[in-house]
This record gives sequence, C-alpha cells and structure tokens, in this order.
Amino acid sequence: MIELLQNLIDGLGRGSIYALLALGVAVIFGVMHLLNFAHGELITVSGYAGYAAFQAGWSWYLVAPLVVVVSIVTSLVIERLAFSRVRGASDFTLLLTSFGIHFLVSAIFLMYVSASVKSFPRPGWVANTYSIGPLTVEVFDTVVIGVTIVTLAVTVAILQKTMFGLALRAAAADFDAARLMGVRSDSVIRGAFALSGFLAGIAAIFWLMRAGNTTPTAGSDPMLKGVLAALIGGLGSLRGAVLGGLALGLAEVLLRSQLPASVAELTEGVVFVLIALLFIFRPQGLITVAHAERV
Amino acid sequence: MFPDHRRDLYLPLLGAAVLFGALVGGGLLYQIAVGGSAERLVTAMLIDAIMVLGLQIYVGNTGVLSFGHMGFGAIAGYTFAIFAVGSDRKVGAPFGLESVVVSPAVATGIAVVVTLAAAVAIGIGLARSGAKSGAVAATVITLALLFVTHEVARNWIALTGGERAGLSFGIGEKLSSRLPVYLALFAALVVARLYSRSRSGQLAVAAREDNLAARAMGINPLVQQMAALLVSVVVVAVAASLRVFEFGTILPDLFFFDYTLLTLVMLIVGGRNSVSGAVLGVAVITVGRELARRTGSDGFEIFGVGLDGAPLDWVFREGLPTVFLGLAMLGFMIWRPVGILDDWEVDSWLHRRLHRSADARPEPLPELAAPTPVTLTAQGIDVRFGGFQALSDAGLVANSGEVVGIIGPNGAGKTTFVNVITGLVEPTGGTFRIGDADLTAAPTHELARAGLVRTFQNLRLFGALTVQANVETVSLVAREHRPGRDRVDPDALIADVGLWDHRDRRARELDYGNSRRLELARAAALAPAFLLLDEPTSGMSDSESLDMVEQVRRVAATVGAGVIVIDHDLNFITGISDRIYVFDQGRVIAEGTPAEVQANPLVKAAYLGSAAID
Amino acid sequence: MLEVRGLTTEYGAITALRDVSLSVGAGEVVGLIGPNGAGKTTLLGSIAGLLMPSRGTVHLGDDDVTGQTPEKMLRAGVALVPEHRRIFVDMTVEENLRIGGVTVPHARRVELLEEMAELFPVLRDKWTTSGGFLSGGEAQQLAIARALMSGPKLLMMDEPSLGLAPIIVDLVFDLIDRLRAEGRTILVVEQNATRMLQAADRAYVLRSGVIVADGSGQELLAREDLFDTFVGG
Repeated sequence: MIELLQNLIDGLGRGSIYALLALGVAVIFGVMHLLNFAHGELITVSGYAGYAAFQAGWSWYLVAPLVVVVSIVTSLVIERLAFSRVRGASDFTLLLTSFGIHFLVSAIFLMYVSASVKSFPRPGWVANTYSIGPLTVEVFDTVVIGVTIVTLAVTVAILQKTMFGLALRAAAADFDAARLMGVRSDSVIRGAFALSGFLAGIAAIFWLMRAGNTTPTAGSDPMLKGVLAALIGGLGSLRGAVLGGLALGLAEVLLRSQLPASVAELTEGVVFVLIALLFIFRPQGLITVAHAERV
Repeated sequence: MFPDHRRDLYLPLLGAAVLFGALVGGGLLYQIAVGGSAERLVTAMLIDAIMVLGLQIYVGNTGVLSFGHMGFGAIAGYTFAIFAVGSDRKVGAPFGLESVVVSPAVATGIAVVVTLAAAVAIGIGLARSGAKSGAVAATVITLALLFVTHEVARNWIALTGGERAGLSFGIGEKLSSRLPVYLALFAALVVARLYSRSRSGQLAVAAREDNLAARAMGINPLVQQMAALLVSVVVVAVAASLRVFEFGTILPDLFFFDYTLLTLVMLIVGGRNSVSGAVLGVAVITVGRELARRTGSDGFEIFGVGLDGAPLDWVFREGLPTVFLGLAMLGFMIWRPVGILDDWEVDSWLHRRLHRSADARPEPLPELAAPTPVTLTAQGIDVRFGGFQALSDAGLVANSGEVVGIIGPNGAGKTTFVNVITGLVEPTGGTFRIGDADLTAAPTHELARAGLVRTFQNLRLFGALTVQANVETVSLVAREHRPGRDRVDPDALIADVGLWDHRDRRARELDYGNSRRLELARAAALAPAFLLLDEPTSGMSDSESLDMVEQVRRVAATVGAGVIVIDHDLNFITGISDRIYVFDQGRVIAEGTPAEVQANPLVKAAYLGSAAID
Repeated sequence: MLEVRGLTTEYGAITALRDVSLSVGAGEVVGLIGPNGAGKTTLLGSIAGLLMPSRGTVHLGDDDVTGQTPEKMLRAGVALVPEHRRIFVDMTVEENLRIGGVTVPHARRVELLEEMAELFPVLRDKWTTSGGFLSGGEAQQLAIARALMSGPKLLMMDEPSLGLAPIIVDLVFDLIDRLRAEGRTILVVEQNATRMLQAADRAYVLRSGVIVADGSGQELLAREDLFDTFVGG
C-alpha cells in the first residue's frame, strides 16, 4: 500500500512533465492535423540556451524564464520557416516535414556546439527529499507537480476565458467555421505554436534540472514521451493529452517497480505496442478529430 | 498476371537493366576516378539502393508512409547475423542457436522467412487499422515496430549482444566480393519494376490515388497493401542481410532512426512513386552526403580544387551530412513533395518513344444484350444516425436493361440510400440483393464485384494515372471478379466515350466533361450488371446534359448493364429513365413513368416546399 | 449593398457557377432558391471567401471584395451561417456566441451577448449548455445568433431549414421575418422554395450554376412555370 502510494507520487511527478509535453503536441495536432515529431527540439534548443546562460554565470532563477522564452521563440521560428509552408498539405508531407526538422535541429547543434554532453549545475534542492509519515517525497517532484498544476490552470484559463483560447478551440474543432467567424488562421496557428512552446518551455526547465546536462539529441526522448502521451489521450483532445501524460508517467513508474529490471527497460516499447494495438482494434476511437469520409 | 507482355514484362526488365547499368556504372567510374578508398562507399550505396527499392515497393505503390521498414531491417539483420556468425561470437545464445552456423546465403534465406512472418503480423494490424495513404494510424503502428525491435535488440543481450558487443563477424569473414550485391541489386530492380506493372501493383496504385474509388471499382486495397508489404520486406530483408555482412557487425542503432532518415530522404528526393526515382534519389543523396562529409572534415577542397576555406569554415564542419539530409527532406517536402522524377519511369518513357505510332483507333464496340436478366432489389431500408431517421422503409427495384431514375430534394435521403446500396453505410433494417445474392451490408468492393458499379458526384478518378490506366486497371478487376461476362476492351471503351486522343493524359488534367466521360468508361470497364450514376450532370450545362444522356445510354447498351441514375435535373432524368422513384424525407413518396411522376402533386410539393400542396 | 457580377467558380474541372450576377439592397431579404446541385452553396461560399471565384467581381458597397479570405469578409461586414450550421459542439452556447463576436471590441461584445439573449430566449435558457446537446432548432438559432454577433451588414444563411421538423421550419421563417422587421439585410439560400418566396422581398432561381429567373417573391410564386424553371422540365 505504502509502496503503491510512493509510486503514485513518483509517477505523478514524472507524468506532469509528460502532460505538459503532450498538451503541446495535442494543441498543434488540433489546429494543423500535424503529429509534431519536432516538438522535442524545443527542449534541445532551450537546453543549449540555458547552458550558454550558465556559462555566462546566470543562476537557475534567471535561466528558467530564459528557457521558456527561448522555447516559445523557437516554436514560432520553426512554424514560420517550415510549417507555414506546408499548411494544408497531405499528412504524408506534414509528418516528413516534422521528421526532417527533428533531425536538422540536432544535426545543427552537433555541428556548431559539439557531440559531447554539456553539463550544468542542478539546483541544490533537486535531490532533497522530505517525509510524510512513511512516505519519502522528492522536493523536485513536489515542485514539478505544483508548477504543472499552476501551468495547467493558466492554460485552462487561457483556453476558457480569453478570446484567443476560444478561437483556438473553435479552430481545432472546425477550422473553416472558425474562419467564417472572423478568426484569423495565421494568428490562431501562430498562437497555437506559441502556447505549445510555452508548455514545452516549462517542461524543459524540469527536464534539464533532472538531467543536469544537454546533448544534440536531448530532444528525442521528450518528443517520444509527448507524442506517446498525446496518442494515449486521443491526439486532438487537450484533456486527453494531460491524462495521457499522467498515465504514461504512472505506467512507467509502476512497470519499473513491479517488473524485473531487464523487462522494465522495455516500458516504452510496451506502451508503444499497447497504443499500436489500440489503433489496430479501435482505430476510430483513438483519433478524436475524425474526418468523415465524403463521397 | 501481366496482361501486355511487351509493356508489362519486357520493358520493365529493360528498365531494370538500364537503371542497374547507370547506378553500377556511375559507382565504378567514381571508383576509378578516386581510387580504392571509394570502394566501400560505392558498395554501401548499392546496398542502400536495394534497401530503398524495398521501401519504394511499399511506400510508393500504396502511399502509406512507413517509418517501420528499418524495424523489418533490424529483424532481418539480427536473424542473418545470429545464424551466420561463428559460435564463438554468440556464446550463450538462446534456443540452441549457439551451435547453429550456416552459410551467409542460407542465413539470408532464413532472414527473409522470419521477416516475412513479422510482416504478415504487422500487415494484418495495418489492415485492421484501415491503413490509407498518409494515415496517422499506419505511422504509429510502423513506428511501434521500429521502437520495439530497437528496444528488444538493446535489452535481449543473450540473443543480440546488446549495445556494446552486438553480433560481429570475425576478421576475413565479412563480405569480400561485390558479386552478391550486384545480383541482389539487379534482382531488387527487377522485382520493383515488375511489381509496379503487375496486377497487384496497379491495383495498389489505384487505391493510393483514391481509396474509396478503388473500393467502388471492386478493388480490396487491404489485400494489395499486404501483397506490396510482403514483396517489399523480402527485398528489405536481403538488403539488411547484405548491410550487416558488409559492415561486419550489427548493433541496435544500425537499423534505427538514422538509417530510417537516410533511406526515406533518398526515396523522397528521387520521387517515391517510381523505381527510377528511388535509384536517382540514392545516387543524388550519396553524392551530396559524401561531398558534405568530405568538405565537413577537410574544408573546401574537392577534386583538387582548393579554395581558401577559412571564411567558409562555419559551413564545413562535422555534422554537415546530417544537416544536408534534414535540409533535403524539408526542402523537398516544402517545394516538391513528389521528388525529382515524380512517377517518371525510364522504361515507360522508352515505351512511349518506341510504341506510340503503332496504335490504331479501335473499332466501336457492338451493343451486347444483357447476358442473363438480373434484378436488383432494395427493400425496407431503414437508416438511423443517432436520433435522426435518415431513411425509413425505402426501397427500389431495377432490372438489367432498364434505366431507373431517383430524384428528390436536398436532404431527401438519396445520398444515404446510395451509400447503403454501395456499402458505405450499414442500414439499421432492410435487405439488399442482386439476383439471388443477399448483399445487405456487404463491403463496397464486394458489391462492385457483384455487379453494381458507381460513379461519384464529386469525381473520383485515379488522378495521377493516365486515362488509359484508369480504365485498364478496372479492367484487370473485371477479368478476375466478373466471370462469365465478356471482357470489354478498354481501348474500345475509351474510344467509345471520345477520349481516344486523350488516352495518355493524366486523369487530373482532363476538363470536366471529359472527366465525367472517363468515370463512365471506367465504371463500364468492370462489366457491371448495373451502373449507378450519382449526379452525372451536376455542373453541366443543359446541352452537355443532353449529350450525357446519349453517352450513358450507349455505354450501358454496350456492356449490357441496367442503369440507376440520381440527379436533380428533372429534364435529364425524364429524358433518360424508364421509371422514376421520388424520395422525400427519407421515404419513397412516388414511383412511376416519367409522365406519371411529373403529374404527381406530391412531387411538386417535395421540390417547392410543403406550402405548394395548398 | 451587395453586388455580384459575372461570378464563375470552378472546382478543379467542375464549373459550379457560370457568370452569376445578383444584387442585394440594404434592408432587403433576398432568397436564392434552386434544386440541390444548382450551385447555391458554392455561390455563398464564393461570396464569403471560402471559395475562390475564377472570374467576376463581388462588391460590398463601393469596395471590391472579390476573392478575400473569410476572415477579411467577415470584417468587411458579411457573415455566413454555413450549411449544416457547424456550431462548435464542445463549446457552450455562450462560448459559441463569444467566438462569433471575436472581431468586435469587448464592450460591444457584451452588449451583443445581451441582445442575443433577448432575441433568442431559447438560447438564454441553455446559456451554459454545450453546443452538442442542443436540438436541431436550437442549434440553428445558435448558428444564426453566432453570425449576428459580428454585427454584420449582410447576413447570409445557407439552408437554414434543412433537416428540421416542420414546426421548427416555421420558427426559422418567423425569425427571418423578425430580422427583416429589424431592418437587417439578408441573403438566404433555401430549398423550400414556396416558403422562401413568401418570406423574401426578391428572389433568384439558380439551376445548374446559372440564374434562370428572378423577381419579387410574389411574382415568382405566381409564375405557372415555376416548377419547370426550377427543375428544368
């Protein structure tokens, strides 16, 4: 029982980061029907920005906002340079475009920074723990869960209360109908990329804090988690993406604690197979943004 | 399997030979120019070419984007290695494999068989998910394969040697002659070219161009996709075995994201829809990457041309090859997603050059009597969408040789009715039969094979295919699935509807009237018992509509088919029909001869609104 | 107010509209009737900017607005209630209305929300209900109210009575009468020709992408050959 509670807390901490990543993937899928394999590159780019700032002697309190800003700007730049040019293209083209960006960004860092791991100091409290009765809780997990709750609350407020949020939801539901209401497609798509960049930026802070370093391929792993969690949640669904992220985090922790070490290594593979099986047996249930076949 | 031996067998073989000569010749010339150091590069290029051809067979012909082909590569590569490397290099391998050592050729054969088994499983999964051109489900399933093979390779160390040791050949055991590569490359080119000209290949391409239209023409895309996948993985398995044999070692990353990127870029850049494109892509990317690598490591000095590299140092660095690949992928996706060659094939080009003048315009087709009279019956059809009753107790009877019209205002349920009898909507009640066969809720392609073939209101042609290929592809289906019916000569059909002079144009380049005529000819090529025409005159002027009446009558008589036609234009419907059904609010409100229907006040009310009855 | 001249629209090879000209004066209710497939929806789409006409012009007042995007057309004062309503089913009635007013300043939007609550009492009762839970008639009213939220100079409706029970159809036509009484300018595409002609000041008959008749509603209603004109008999 206690072990289960412990796993729950660990899983929520992990899952919170995935939820932020998945939400960013889902937002983009909603407005562009694009499964964004380049999402993790926001973490690569902002990670190097953070590294540069540490070299210049900045502290985490300054680096954290910088990471978020860089992530937003990167997201917008990628949209402008690449995705805006393939808007409305086939899924085939969209997927390969994001796949290409994923490789291009890491190759550019490989070329201009170096292949080696760039380390930076982790904040002192990251490894600290405290106890509640028999439970040992990481300070880090507590902060992650807290910040995620705040970030999600802000995101929900944006989506529910602001005109931009309404426009984004409307465009995700029916793009042409939203345009008929006067919603500008350029603004809403750029807004979606900015929001996605913001969420990835918050996730990046924690990802980098936990890792304490960055590499040219640092984006691959978060990209995978974000895409998987968004898939679990049904891709177009924002609520589903958050739940998908938490579910993925919990699943990883539980599988790791329950299964022998050699099998637990396969968690990602297992999750991937489960999702593939869902697609195979319930293809219409997974993608909520279904496109009816028109004759 | 190959209807026209010259076009579908000999010319593709010639094409394969030309492509082989070009790629191998180019490689050997480069080797002579640069010297022995280029040897491995050229060997790697030839193996990459085999791999990309394997990818092309599936992605090109079906249009389904597979990220998982390197997963098949990994399965094949490990199978090959575990059987081919010496016992001392796989100590502790499970299933008694430690003591099994076979020759590389046999190991390749085993790899092919194992990979085929995996492909059957994955293929069934893809089929169940309803794989379609560009579908996200297909991407996810294939990615899952890639990840799972990679994770297993990393973690099942007893079998695979994991990430550190891997499985290695001893010194001197590696691939030492290029002969197997040449043989495999030539075989891969032949297979790829022959597959795309084969019946299965042509049907797969039709489904790639328009999945729904293909099903409506009696093609089952899932079967053709499976066939393409199996042929494809055989080639991939051979390529993967050669790659491992040439490399001397297999590690999990040998067939993972990097190689997926490389092979996909090669395929996309050259043009995924053609074998020639795949080969060109391999050549272009290999050259580009080699230039990037050399300039990246040596500065800007190629072929002895030395420039002062200093100001350009920021470009010429390590990592340039991957940047080049990423940029090539992005650039082509943004500016030319069909690649350099699109679907241009060297042998088709030769065929057009050599063959054109010989074709004479075929004789007009004689009219056929309907072979045996058949009756199509829909009875008591109910359809409910949620709380909305789209059809209640709708029905219709049509006999071969007869023209039956369906009219009704917007929202009357005509389209839903058509969707029911063409298998796109499952009715909540009622029965549908053609002759004695109960076809209620049968899938679309089976309805087509049973003899009911439709056209589409919004035109659904196989856009990238020529006029001739549109009709011939469907004719291939007729040959197999419409037994007992005289085959309708596709050329004569094309000439009959007046498209003979356009037969080499792509369907998507036709103007509207000609597109309609092509749809009619394509449907007729299936030798249907009934032609179902959905709004054949929408978007036509009155005089064009009248021409269409003649055309429909003629084509129907030629193939001996009954006609069911839905249209909003009463003039057209009364001009063409023997009997008319009037739909309103999901019911049949009137039935009779054109004169009876025109005189019926209910019909007027349905069209002009309820108040007209007053 | 709206002046369409020589409009021709093609979908790939299909010519859906040929050389269509029509006008709508300020304060007029103009009907556009015709059988399905005639090009009515295409015409509204071409005016609203969803489709790009290949020839011809669209003027709104003195401005040439041919081939503008939908978002620009809305800002120019043309709102379209699309076919099948296309309300946002996961958003509440209020949110649907607010998105309809995305182009107007905040204060004006609040005023308009109140006006819509007055004009459509049904919607006021369902203010926080999701669009997906509305009945067909309620959804149609929401779609119209949503379009009115932009304060349009010209309101266009595509088949507002399609798929509705007869009693709800009455309600839709009552609504058109009320909007006319408020002095609004409206262009309605309708299949229900008789009802439309009764409700409209003027009407056009479109068949096979061509205007085949026009006149006041009463004139067209009185025409003996209306049915033949309509269906091409």
